[in-house]
Order: sequence, then structure tokens, then C-alpha cells
Amino acid sequence: MLPRLVVLLAAFLSRRLGSDAHETELPSPPSVWFEAEFFHHILHWTPIPNQSESTCYEVALLRYGVEPWNSISNCSQALSYDLTAVTLDLYRSNGYRARVRAVDGSRRSNWTVTNTRFSVDEVTLTVGSVKLEIHNGFILGKIQPPRPKMAPANDTYESIFSHFREYEIAIRKVPGNFTFTHKKVKHENFSLLTSGEVGEFCVQVKPSVTSRTNKGMWSKEECVSLTRQYFTVTNVIIFFAFVLLLSGALAYCLALQLYVRRRKKLPRVLLFKKPSAFIFISQRPSPEIQDTIHPLDEEAFLKVSPELRNSDLHGSTDSGFGSTKPSLQTEEPQFLLPDPHPQADRMLGNGEPPELGDSCSSGSSNSTDSGICLQEPSLSPSTGPTWEQQVGSDSKGQDDSGIGLVQNSEGQAGDTQGGSALGHDSPPEPEVPAEQDPTAVVFRGYLRQTRCAEEKATKTGYLEEELPLTGGLGPKFRGCLDDEAGLHPPALAKGYLKQDPLEMTLASSGAPTEQWNQPTEEWSLLALSSCSDLGTSDWSFAHDLAPLGCVAAPGGLLGSFNSDLVTLPLISSLHSSE
Amino acid sequence: MKLPCVSLGLLGTILMLCSVDNHGLRRCLISTDMHHIEESFQEIKRAIQAKDTFPNVTILSTLETLQIIKPLDVCCVTKNLLAFYVDRVFKDHQEPNPKILRKISSIANSFLYMQKTLRQCQEQRQCHCRQEATNVTRVIHDNYDQLEVRSAAVKSLGELDIFLAWIAKNHEVTSSA
Repeated sequence: MLPRLVVLLAAFLSRRLGSDAHETELPSPPSVWFEAEFFHHILHWTPIPNQSESTCYEVALLRYGVEPWNSISNCSQALSYDLTAVTLDLYRSNGYRARVRAVDGSRRSNWTVTNTRFSVDEVTLTVGSVKLEIHNGFILGKIQPPRPKMAPANDTYESIFSHFREYEIAIRKVPGNFTFTHKKVKHENFSLLTSGEVGEFCVQVKPSVTSRTNKGMWSKEECVSLTRQYFTVTNVIIFFAFVLLLSGALAYCLALQLYVRRRKKLPRVLLFKKPSAFIFISQRPSPEIQDTIHPLDEEAFLKVSPELRNSDLHGSTDSGFGSTKPSLQTEEPQFLLPDPHPQADRMLGNGEPPELGDSCSSGSSNSTDSGICLQEPSLSPSTGPTWEQQVGSDSKGQDDSGIGLVQNSEGQAGDTQGGSALGHDSPPEPEVPAEQDPTAVVFRGYLRQTRCAEEKATKTGYLEEELPLTGGLGPKFRGCLDDEAGLHPPALAKGYLKQDPLEMTLASSGAPTEQWNQPTEEWSLLALSSCSDLGTSDWSFAHDLAPLGCVAAPGGLLGSFNSDLVTLPLISSLHSSE
Repeated sequence: MKLPCVSLGLLGTILMLCSVDNHGLRRCLISTDMHHIEESFQEIKRAIQAKDTFPNVTILSTLETLQIIKPLDVCCVTKNLLAFYVDRVFKDHQEPNPKILRKISSIANSFLYMQKTLRQCQEQRQCHCRQEATNVTRVIHDNYDQLEVRSAAVKSLGELDIFLAWIAKNHEVTSSA
């Protein structure tokens, strides 16, 4: 009986043990581990091989150093379990251990325990959110730490990790995939300088604690668009400052123009009316000027010798001559020296060239304007009444004085003075009556007044071409008037009087040459009257020449002369040749 | 009139020195590179703690042993625990893996340096061990003795993170990282 019971008991026990072994045959999960973030503690495990649909997993948790194991889940189909609720003091304790086993029906597998003690060191740091703002070209960022719902009120991220919090910031400019820049900040607020770039920028943040070995996780990308702002406060201020500076500069310049550089009025004494009729330079005779314009006689110009044309004397006494002014130079007849024997008819109506008889006198008998005519020193005398000669020589058609450069005026005072032309080929006229006018010897030029007694100027072109002869006009004028002085430098004269040759009878009927000096005063008076009649205000030298007498002659000569003077265009240089 | 002021000043100076004295001990290890030790431990933590088969037993955290230590006892407890690890744990542990052994050696050398630094602080100031500090040290030794030596050593090495965290908290050690 007893052996039978033993055998039955043994069989029963073996069957029981076999069933237990069968139950433990279920494999255990290969690995169990924690994946935790701030107050988000998830236990993960790998499934057992060949698990069935009825297989589930049992989870247990142990507080390190404290018994027993606490069963958390009896059968979980998932491969993870949230243990946050039972591990809230993780950050203030020594940690936890967890274990998992597979359950399939009545079978149970062995427990698989986590390899490491689950502690705060295994928590992965994250950020809750990142907010970006644009302000004055800066991207202002604010990092919000995680605020999990299950965390106790006193356990905040800042309280648990109170020191050495750090954030790494990565900026990416869309659409590029590479990171634009990395930056580490030690506070939850940061700013990024975009350096004026525009476009879309995306920012990521990774937290860390420098005193701990916790790993960090990159946050979700936050993007912001940066557009170019023109109406910023800085730009507006700069704009208004620029406007103020510009207006200030303009006001200053305006004030300068109005009040500093105001056109100053000349003193009344210096004012003189411009003789419209006598504008010589760059102005054509005004219509009211009763002056006839005569065409140039080119033939007369050609008679000027080349030497004379290119003579330095030309240039020295007359700026406008140069050497290429044939028009002037050919006006030989006009520059003839006055007849030493002043004779009215000779002076007035003598159309033939006087003893001056130089090239200057050869032509342009009808010229109405003076010109420079270079003459030999031996120009015909009759320079005593140089001007007379010229006056009388107006019959040649020269109605204007010109500068005649006399090379050798000694003994030829009259010549020099009235030296109408200096022609090399002009026959020397040594018979210049030195007695006529000893003072004229020194005179270097002559005032040519071809219209003193001759016909009116008929050559307008010539007249006009005399424009550059401005510098020489003065002396011409002087030469015509002032023979007694003989020393008047040509440069003092400002212009010359263009005289109608027909009217030049004044001179012829006037004082004889030997009396050239005598009636000076007389003439001066007459000249005054005549000059006053002329009323040319722009004779800058008028007051100088007045005593010399304008082209005037006593008596009827004056009268006729006056009228002619009025009518004749007064060609005078308004420019100061000084 | 000046005498009360002088006496008050002296009293304040004494009190300040006393507080500094206490804090000074706590700040003795401030220059220690704890971060390096922590990093070294993290690399071997998985391997060391995986060998610990007695999770329900602890050596350093029995009844929150270290959490209840007062500031006056920090110096004594720190000194005693450093000696515990250097004299017993590192000597009793037999590590076959050379990589892990290198890390353990590095940690041990750091503990030796910390002991030297702490000894210099103790020579300048008094580091008396009160009864509470002595009791905590005795409990730790008793826990270590209840386990088999190798298991105890492994467990003690596995609990290095607890000891390092306690040092950083009580000694206000700044991170050099």
C-alpha cells in the first residue's frame, strides 16, 4: 500500500514540476530600459521572441534600497509603460529599479531588470517651447522650460536644475539645410543679430546642465520671417537729420548769395553811360546809330606788307592785330602820316595818300574805320598836325583812327603822331616837319582819325574787324588829337573816335600844322563843346582827352564835325586796356 | 563711546569667522573637478550596476542616511566616506575589464586628491566628528559588511553617483565644465 502511494505521489509531483517548468519556458524580454524626460518616465522593453497574441507583460518597480517590488501592471500588451506617476520623487531620491516579465496565459517568464538604477542622471533634458520676435533687426528668443502636467508644483525645471543651465542655439536660413550658426547661451532669453539679412530663419534649441552628464534633445524648429524695414526709428531719425543739414546748407548758400555777394553798385562818379553807338567789341552798331556799314575792301588789306603784318610792333601796341589781320593792315591809306603841310583841301579832300604814302595809305580809301598800319619810320611827315592830317586824310575814306606804329619817330614827330601806318615799303618821308611838332617825335603811335575830314566810313566790315584792335584804339585817338603832347602813350586811350572823312574838313580848315600846338586851348574848348555834343558817356578817356580836344576845329569845321560826330559811330573801346 | 562700537565690531568679526569656518570646510573641495569624476562614472555605470543583483539592498542610502546629515557633520562624513571608498571599496573590487578598470582607477585617484585637499583644510580648521557623523559612518560600514565582499564592492561602486551628488550638494562644488 505504502509503495503505491509513494509512486503516485512521485508522479504527481513530477507532473507538477513539469507544468511549472513549462510555465517558465516563456522567454523573458531581452532588455528593459528607461527613456525619460523631465517628469515623463517611460519604461520600454523589447518583446519576447515568438510572442503570441495572448502574450502580455508584467511591470514591477522597486525603489532603490527599499523592499519590496511593487507590481505596476499585471498585463500590458504594449511594449512600454509610463511610470511617471510612481516615480515623482526621482529627482530627490537615489533612483528606481524596474523589471518586466512576459505573461502568456498561465505562463510567466523570468523577470528582466533594468541594467542601471534609474536616477536623475538618465533624464534627457528638453525645452518646452521657443518663442521668437523681431525687433530692430534682432531676433529675440525666449526659451520656455518644460512644464509637464504631472510634475508637482514645487518641482520645476529651474528648481531641480538650479545652476549651470545652458542652451545651444542653431540657426538655419531657409531654404538652406546647413546650420547658419551655433550659439550657446546661459539664460532663457537670447538675441540674434541678423546683420541686415532678410528672409526666413529657423531656430532650434538644445538644453544642457554643465554640472551634470544629462543628455539634451533638440527642440522643434521655430521659424520667423525677417523683412527689410525701411521705416525704422533709426532710419527716420537719420532721414530727418539729413533733411535738416541739407536745408541748413541751402539756407547758408542762399544767404551768401543774397547778402554777401550782393551786387555792389558802382559809385555814381564811375558810372557812365554806355555809348551804344560806339560799342566796338562784340557788339554790332545798334540800329539807332546812324552809321553806315561799309563792306571791307579786301584789296586795301592786301597791300600791307607781310613784315608789317607780322611785326611785333603790331602786337605790342595793339592786342588785336596779330599778324593775320590783313584787313587792318591793308588799310594803308588810313594810316598815312599826316601831311606836314596841313592844307585843308589836302587834308580833307585829298583822297590820295599823303606822303605817308605807305602801304597803309594805299588802299581803303573808303575805309571808315581805323586800323593799324605799320609804316616805315620815314613815313611822310606832316605829322605835326597829325590828327589834322588824318582828319584831312579822311578823304581816303578812312573814318576812324587807328594805331600806327612808327618805328622811328624822331624827327618825324608829326609822322609818329599821326603815324597812320608803318609800312616798310612806305617811302620815307624825312621831310617830316620836325618844326611842326617837336613833341611828336617821341610819340610812338598816332591817333588815327580818318574821318576827321573825309567821307564817312564806308567799310563796316573793316570797322568790325577792328574789334580786336581795342587796345590800339586809344592811342589812335590820342594821336589824332594830341599831337602837341606827342608823348601820350597809346595805352591810355580807351578807344578811338571814328570820324567821317567827309567831315574832316575841320582839320583842314583849322589851324595850320605849325599852329598845332597853339590852338590847343582853343581846340580844347571846341573839343569840349564837341565832345559834349557827342555826349559819349563811355569815353572813359573823355575827360582826359577833353583838354586835348576832340576832333575839332574852330569854326565851321567844328559845326560840321559835330554833326558828323554825332552821326558817326563812335568806336571806342569800352574796355580798359590798362 | 567708542568701546561699545569696538566690541560690537569684534563680535561681528568672530561670528563671521565662525560662519566662514563652517563654510570653509564645505568649500574645501570647491576646486575639485567633480564633473570629470561624474563623466568617468557614467561610462562604467551600466557595466557596474548591471552586476548588482541585490537592488533591494543599499549601502549608502539606508533610511536616507546621507540626506539627514547636518552641515556641521559634512566635513567629518566626507572625510570618513572618502576613506571608506579608498580603503575598502576600491581594494575589494576585482575588475576583469581593463577599460572599466581604467575608469575605476581614475575615480580612485580623484578620491585620493580629494582626501589630500580635505586634509589641508582640516589642518587649518578643526574638523570634529560628532556622534551623528560617527553613527552615519558606522551604518555604512555595517551595510557593507552584510553583503558578500564582491557584491558589496560592486554595489558600493554602483552607488558612486549617490556619493558624488551628495558631495556636490554639500560642498558647493562648481562645475569646471
